[in-house]
Amino acid sequence: MGVINSIEQLEEYRRELAATAKPDLPTVLVCFGTGCQANGSRLVANAFMEIIKEQGLQVDVNIGIKTTGCHGYCENGPLVALRPQDILYLKVKPEDVPEIVEESVKGGRIVERLVYRDKVTDEIVPRYSEIPFYKHQLRIALRHIGTIDPTSIDDYILAGGYAGLAKALRMEPEDIISEVERSGLRGRGGAGFPTGTKWRSCAAVDSDVRYVMCNGDEGDPGAFMDRSIMEGDPHAVIEGMIIGAYAVGSRQGYIYVRDEYPLAIRNLTTAIEAAREKGLLGENILGTGFSFDIKISRGGGAFVCGESSALMRSVEGNVGEPRAKYIRSVERGLYNKPTVLNNVETWANVPEIILKGAEWYASMGTEGSKGTKVFSLVGKVNNTGLVEVPMGISIRELVENIGGGVLGGKKFKAVQTGGPSGGCIPERLADLPIDFDSLTEAGSMMGSGGIIVMDEDTCMVDVAKYFTGFLVEESCGKCTPCRDGLPRIYDLLTEVTEGRGREEHLDMLEELCDLLTWGALCGLGTSAANPVLSTVKYFRDEYEAHIRDKKCPAGVCKALITYSIDPEACTGCRLCAKNCPQNCITGKRKEAHVIDTSKCIKCGVCKDVCAFDAVRIS
Amino acid sequence: MEKISVVIDGRTFEAEKDTCVLEVARRNGIYIPSLCYNSEVTSSGGSCRVCLVEAHQGGRMRLVTSCNYPVRKGLEVKTDTPLVHRIRRGVLELLLARVPDSEVIREMAAAEGVTEVRFRKDEGENERYKCIACALCVNVCAEVVGVHAIAMVERGADKKPATPYNKPSDVCIGCGACAYACPTGAIELKEKDGVRRIWHKDFKMVRCSVCGTPYIPEAQVDWIVSKTGKDRSFFDKCPDHRF
Repeated sequence: MGVINSIEQLEEYRRELAATAKPDLPTVLVCFGTGCQANGSRLVANAFMEIIKEQGLQVDVNIGIKTTGCHGYCENGPLVALRPQDILYLKVKPEDVPEIVEESVKGGRIVERLVYRDKVTDEIVPRYSEIPFYKHQLRIALRHIGTIDPTSIDDYILAGGYAGLAKALRMEPEDIISEVERSGLRGRGGAGFPTGTKWRSCAAVDSDVRYVMCNGDEGDPGAFMDRSIMEGDPHAVIEGMIIGAYAVGSRQGYIYVRDEYPLAIRNLTTAIEAAREKGLLGENILGTGFSFDIKISRGGGAFVCGESSALMRSVEGNVGEPRAKYIRSVERGLYNKPTVLNNVETWANVPEIILKGAEWYASMGTEGSKGTKVFSLVGKVNNTGLVEVPMGISIRELVENIGGGVLGGKKFKAVQTGGPSGGCIPERLADLPIDFDSLTEAGSMMGSGGIIVMDEDTCMVDVAKYFTGFLVEESCGKCTPCRDGLPRIYDLLTEVTEGRGREEHLDMLEELCDLLTWGALCGLGTSAANPVLSTVKYFRDEYEAHIRDKKCPAGVCKALITYSIDPEACTGCRLCAKNCPQNCITGKRKEAHVIDTSKCIKCGVCKDVCAFDAVRIS
Repeated sequence: MEKISVVIDGRTFEAEKDTCVLEVARRNGIYIPSLCYNSEVTSSGGSCRVCLVEAHQGGRMRLVTSCNYPVRKGLEVKTDTPLVHRIRRGVLELLLARVPDSEVIREMAAAEGVTEVRFRKDEGENERYKCIACALCVNVCAEVVGVHAIAMVERGADKKPATPYNKPSDVCIGCGACAYACPTGAIELKEKDGVRRIWHKDFKMVRCSVCGTPYIPEAQVDWIVSKTGKDRSFFDKCPDHRF
């Protein structure tokens, strides 16, 4: 079908697609997210294609024009899911393919060595929906990801796509805004501003031109939920933006995507073109007289361009620097026109809210934070990847139930949330519900949803230094506190971690943090003190150990540790001596070895290779 | 324009809506220090942070830069509170650490009681000697002169104004407006034997036909003539001998 001319025709088209779809046909879904592609999912898909063609099987392989987006469980990629059997295979290699086809696709049996194995009970869990990583999730923003082909608008429509838009176009713009307001949706980009309020303020400004924008400049290290949505379900973002544009009265939208996301750019471009061909973008959408189109603007990779005013300047073709937002973007944003800017995940939630209603959405989450949130769970945890859970779940539930606990049975020490300018929350507060207000109160923030799990081997001063270092690199340099203050904070942290810390350094750190929080220009600067402030607040004893005792309790800061070999545990196997790059380990075979600390560079190779755990750090 | 009333340090003033707090304060004799702001340059301000004041509005308070904070109904400003001075002292200590040789910064810091720097100082005649990266030069060049010869390059602590690739700019007219506007005198402008040197480029100066003083670069005359259609002969004499 070419252009869809009315809302009725859209529904008719969906029925037609459903009539020709074969839901019972065995389907192999090969993940084509960035992570799985990097791990070779393309070769796996090719192997499926070949063998199926060879054997003339009636299987619809998701390849080429039918690939899926990211399933989120990237550390176990390439992922292959089988429908309707609901089996998920992990770390699939091309040579596994004949066995999968023979055993599972044809025989309906499970290839045990490729399914999830519980790290504690050692039980196998073949069903996709029963794997702990997925079982505890509630997927709204990620609703289609991993099940549809992001390059096919038909797949999206068949899965119920654009039904939210159809419903919205029958509503009054004012009622859409009220619906979004009542849903309690807050911006998923970090600040958590109520989305409906933002739309209402923008619609209220007297102007001939308004813009709606999507912030896809996901810059937090380790966060990839927005990339996953843009790659895996681009139409959800586009549909959300069309609804938003209709609600506030905009004719032009922009999606700002960082250039490091080539697959997201490609899939969004394909989706925009397909939506135009179907009459879902462009003039007279679905014959309603409403017109709206979207352009993609590619970012050059500056972290600060994820800040709204810097993002807008960048789209305009200027240097991406923030401006004072004393007059807000809803009043004077892109090209000085009223502008609604929402994050990718926020937009992806909008069609579902319109379709299922504000009450449905508001029934999930907590008092102040409704709905679900996507987190990228990374760090020292067994299961890492993208997870979507209701707001209000505790940090502990997230780490233990979904994350499967801390790696290697180590002690859970803290989580770092909210990206580089977030903060660290200690294990003793792990029962804290994850929502906008609780995290802020605890001295961290929701941010875009990065959760880094840290164990007992993590030095919190070193963590603060790492994130401060990131921010020093990414500060745009426009305002004094951020430009000249952050490098001084970094200096002081270097002094502390290298054993030159003095008592007054703690006060100086706190003073500089206070200066940033009050005095910096944009959100990047005012939140840049969080890594230091939160670690000083919860792990002051670690700072003091570095400063007073010249010790790093976690054994991380090289200047403060020494390596030695426990003569009781050493078997004299010579392995450490052979691997030492400094040749500073001596000892006879079958006798205890000794490290010459004057030559040791503390690289840790000896500890890594020792099979008897005889290398000690003190 | 709509007139509204605004309270600054307990006194009520009338002002046009959206005028910046700093202007309203100065017109009424209230001193707020500033560096990166110039009232003739609308794109200036907001970066140096020395003009921070408390803005109380709608039941909440935040520190704002008075040079670009618009006055609106119900605004109460406090310019002389412990918080304002605490943060200003911090900003000035950082600026002093950045440009320890700038007399302007030394004086402004001393006025707030800051004479010592506890942090690492940026020493020596580096490329951005005395420059506080406030971008006023760039804003003047773009907005007032209209030639866009310089831009802020690099980021973070390395941020500085520069011509493209630090080479002589094709479009610079040598007018020196950047050097004139710079709050810390960080831009080098030298004149010798009828030649001005600025931003790595030499400009031949036009001499006044009366007093013989070289007073304007030829390139600047070209620019003004091309923009305004003014007769070249107008520039034969310097402003002192023109009329």
